Amino acid sequence: MRITNNMLINNMLNNLNNNLNRMNKYQNQLATGKKISLPSDDPIVASRALKLRTDVAEIQQYKRNVDDATSWMEITEKTLGQIGDVMHRVRELAVQSGNETNTPDDLDKIRQEMEQLRIQMIHLANTTYAGRYIFSGYKTDKPLLDENGAFLMDISNSEQIHFEIGIGDDININVTGSDLFNNGTDAAAGEMSGLLDTLNNIIAALEAGDNGAVGNMLDRIDNDMNNILRVRSGVGARMNRLELTANRLEDDFINFTTLMSKNEDVDIAEAIMNLMNEENVYRASLSAGARVIQPSLVDFLK
Amino acid sequence: MSRSTFFGFDIATRGLYTAQRGLTNVNHNIDNINTPGYSRQKITQTASRPLLMADGTGMLGTGSDVTGVYRTRDLYLDAKYRSEAQYLGEWDIKDRLLEQMQVMYNEPSDSGFNAVLNGFYDTLQQLATDPSSLSVRAAVKEKAIMVAKYFNSVAAHFEYLQNDVNNIIYAKVQDINSLADQIAKLNKQIYNYEITGNTANDLRDQRDYLVDKLSRLINIQAYEVVSGKLPDGRDDVRFCVTISGKAIVDHTQVSYLTCVQREEKLNFEDINYLYDIKWADGNTLTIKSGELKGYLDIRDGNDELNGSPNFRGIPFYQRRMNEFVRVFAMTFNEGIIDIDGDGVLDNVNGHVDGYRLNSTGDETEPAGIRFFTMLDEYGNPMDSAAFAAGAGVDPTDPDYYERMYSQLTARTFSISKEILDDPSNNICTTDTPGQVGNIENLRSILSMRHNTYMFMEGGPEDYIKTIISTMGVDAQQAKTHLDNQVIMTNQIDMRRQSVSGVSIDEEMANLVRYQHAYNAAAKMIQTYSEILDILVNGLGL
Repeated sequence: MRITNNMLINNMLNNLNNNLNRMNKYQNQLATGKKISLPSDDPIVASRALKLRTDVAEIQQYKRNVDDATSWMEITEKTLGQIGDVMHRVRELAVQSGNETNTPDDLDKIRQEMEQLRIQMIHLANTTYAGRYIFSGYKTDKPLLDENGAFLMDISNSEQIHFEIGIGDDININVTGSDLFNNGTDAAAGEMSGLLDTLNNIIAALEAGDNGAVGNMLDRIDNDMNNILRVRSGVGARMNRLELTANRLEDDFINFTTLMSKNEDVDIAEAIMNLMNEENVYRASLSAGARVIQPSLVDFLK
Repeated sequence: MSRSTFFGFDIATRGLYTAQRGLTNVNHNIDNINTPGYSRQKITQTASRPLLMADGTGMLGTGSDVTGVYRTRDLYLDAKYRSEAQYLGEWDIKDRLLEQMQVMYNEPSDSGFNAVLNGFYDTLQQLATDPSSLSVRAAVKEKAIMVAKYFNSVAAHFEYLQNDVNNIIYAKVQDINSLADQIAKLNKQIYNYEITGNTANDLRDQRDYLVDKLSRLINIQAYEVVSGKLPDGRDDVRFCVTISGKAIVDHTQVSYLTCVQREEKLNFEDINYLYDIKWADGNTLTIKSGELKGYLDIRDGNDELNGSPNFRGIPFYQRRMNEFVRVFAMTFNEGIIDIDGDGVLDNVNGHVDGYRLNSTGDETEPAGIRFFTMLDEYGNPMDSAAFAAGAGVDPTDPDYYERMYSQLTARTFSISKEILDDPSNNICTTDTPGQVGNIENLRSILSMRHNTYMFMEGGPEDYIKTIISTMGVDAQQAKTHLDNQVIMTNQIDMRRQSVSGVSIDEEMANLVRYQHAYNAAAKMIQTYSEILDILVNGLGL
C-alpha cells in the first residue's frame, strides 16, 4: 500500500484523538468518582443507579419515621408508667382508707392526696408530644379530658395513627384515650371517662367518710389497672417491633449504599492505573508521531 | 544520409520542455498537498513521433512529449465513501443530539428527577408523621413546586431543542441548495473545458469534494451519464446528482429543495410551524439518510406514531413525560388508579377526597382540592374548579377524567392555586373532617407510590427509569453506529489517500528525477553547442 504524508498525519491525529478520548474518560471517572456520567455510558448501570437511589432515599425516610414513631411511643410508654404509678398509689390509699382505725382527719388527708392524684391523672391524659395530644386519637389538637375527667370529644378506638415504616408496612403508634381511660370502649363528648369515674367515686366516698364504699371500689381499681397493663404491654410489643424494624432498616441502608457504591462508584485504584496507562500510551504515540512526521526526502536533499 | 544540423537542439529542447512540465507538475502537487479533495496529478510522457529514415536504417527518435495530465483517483472508492458518509452524517447528528437530550434529564445525579421526586415523597412522609405541622406543610408545597418545575424545565428544554433543530434543518437545506448550485456551475466549467478533449483535473477534484460534502448531508447518488456523441465522436458525458431517484443536479440544471412551514402539527407535542422539506417544484422528497435525516428523526421521531419517523426523538420523550404527569396527577388528585392490576381503573381516596386542616366536624363534603393542576395561558396555576372545567363535559361523562387530564402537559404541569396560596390548610391529609391527626387520606395517596400498576412500566420511578434507560440505550446505539461509520469512512478515506494523496518523498524523488533530466537535456544543448563550435569556428578556412 502506498503511504502518503497526509495519511500518516491523519492516522496519527486519529489515534491521538482516541487516546485523548480514553484519557478524558478516566479523568472524568476520577474527578466524579462515578463510573458513568451519562446513561448511554452504561444504561444498565444507570437504571440500576436510579432504582438504588430511590431505595436508599426511602430507607432513610423510613428510618426517620421509625425514629419519630419511637419518640412518640417512648412518651406514651413513659406516660403509661406514670399512670400505672398513680393507680398504684390510688390502690394503696384505697386499701389504707379501708382501715377501721382511720380518724376522719386521716381520711381527709387521704382524700386530699387522692384529689391531687386525680388532677395528676387528668394531666397525664392530656400529655403532649411536640404539641400534639397523644391520647386524643385523630384530634391531636385537642386535650382529651376536662378538669372533671369527662371526654372533650367523641373518641373511638379506631382512631389509630399509622406511621409507614417500610413499603406496605406500617405501625400504629398511638393509644387512644377511649382504650386507655375508658376500658377500651368508645366514648362520646361529655361522657365521663371510666378511669376518672373510679377516682371521682373514691373521692366522693372519702368525702362522705364511707370507708366501706371505698373498699368496694378496689375491684374497679384492679380492673382499671389491668386495663392499663394490657395497653402498656401492647405498647411494649409495638416498641419491640419498632426496634427490630430500626435494626433491619439500618442493615438495609448499609446494604443498599454498598450496592449503590458497587454499582456506580469507580474503583479508584483501577481508574488511576488506567489513566497512567493511557498517559504512557499518549506520550509514546506523541513521540512516535513526532518521529514519523518530521523527516522526508526534503531533509536529505542538499 | 543527411539531416538538419540543428536537429539535436530540437530533441534536447523537447527534453527540457518535458522535464519542465514534470517539474511544474511536482510543484503543483506539493503546493496542493493539503488542499482538501485534491488528488495527485501525473503527467503521461511518451516518446515523440519518430522520423522514418528513407535509407532503411529505421526510425530516428525525436525525443519526448507530454501527452496529458491525469489525476490519480479511484472512482469506486468515491462511490463507496459517499454511500458510507451519509450514515456517518446521520449517526453523528443523532449521537450529538441524544447526548444533549440525556443531559437535560440530568440522571443519574443527586439533582435529577429521582432526587426531586424522592424529596417530594420524603416531605409527604414527614407530613404523615406530623400532619398538623405548618412548617412541614410549607415544605411539601415547596417540594411539589420542585417536582412541577422539573417537568416544566425539561419540557421547555426539549421545546428549545426542537426549535434549534428546526432552524438547523432550514440552514442545512440552504447548504444543500448552495452545494447543488456550486456543483452545477462546476459541471458547466468542466464540460466546457473537456469538450476540447482536455481533462479538467482540478475542477473535477473540486466537484468530487463538494459531492463528498453533500453526501454527508443527505442520501445522494452521483454519476456521469452519456447523453449522446460529440461531433468528434467522443461520448457527451454529463454529471448528475440524485436524491432518492430525483435529480437535484442534472448537468447545469439545479432542482432546489425548499422548507415549508407546517400548517398542521405532525405530533401533538410539537411546537408550531415546523418545517417540512420538499422539492421546490412541489414534489415530495424522501430523505433516507444523511445529517438531514438525523435532524428530522430527532425533531419528529415519535416511534412511528401518526406517521412520524421510526425513531425515539423529541416528541417521543415529550409524549412520555406528558403521559407521566397526566397519570401521576390523576392518581394523586383523584385516586383513580388500577389498584389491583385487573386492567380496570379503580377509584380510591385521592387528594380531592380529603378535608382541609381547619375543617370542622360538621362538614359533609370533601374539600375537593386538586393538588396538581396546570398553568393557565398567563403562566399562573389554575384552581381546581377551573382545571375541572377544562374537561368540557359533565362529571357524569365517562371520559370526564380523561378529558380533564388530557389538557395537562409536562410544560404546564403545576401545583394548584389552592395549594400555592394556602398549603397550611389546603393540603388534605384527613379523610374525616375536623381530625387534624388523621392521615388516612394521605396514606391512601402515599400507598400509590408503590403501586406497580400505576403505569404499564410500574410505579412512578419505574416509569421515569424506563424513559431514561430507553434514551440511554438509544444513545449508546447511536454511539456504536457512529463509531462504526467513523471506522468505515476512515478506512475508505485512507484507501483514497493511499491512491490520491501526495507523497512528499515521491514528489522529491520526481523532483530529482526531472531535475537530472533537465540537467542532462541542457548538457545535450551544451554538447551540440560545442560540436557546432568546432564545426563553425574550428574548421575555419
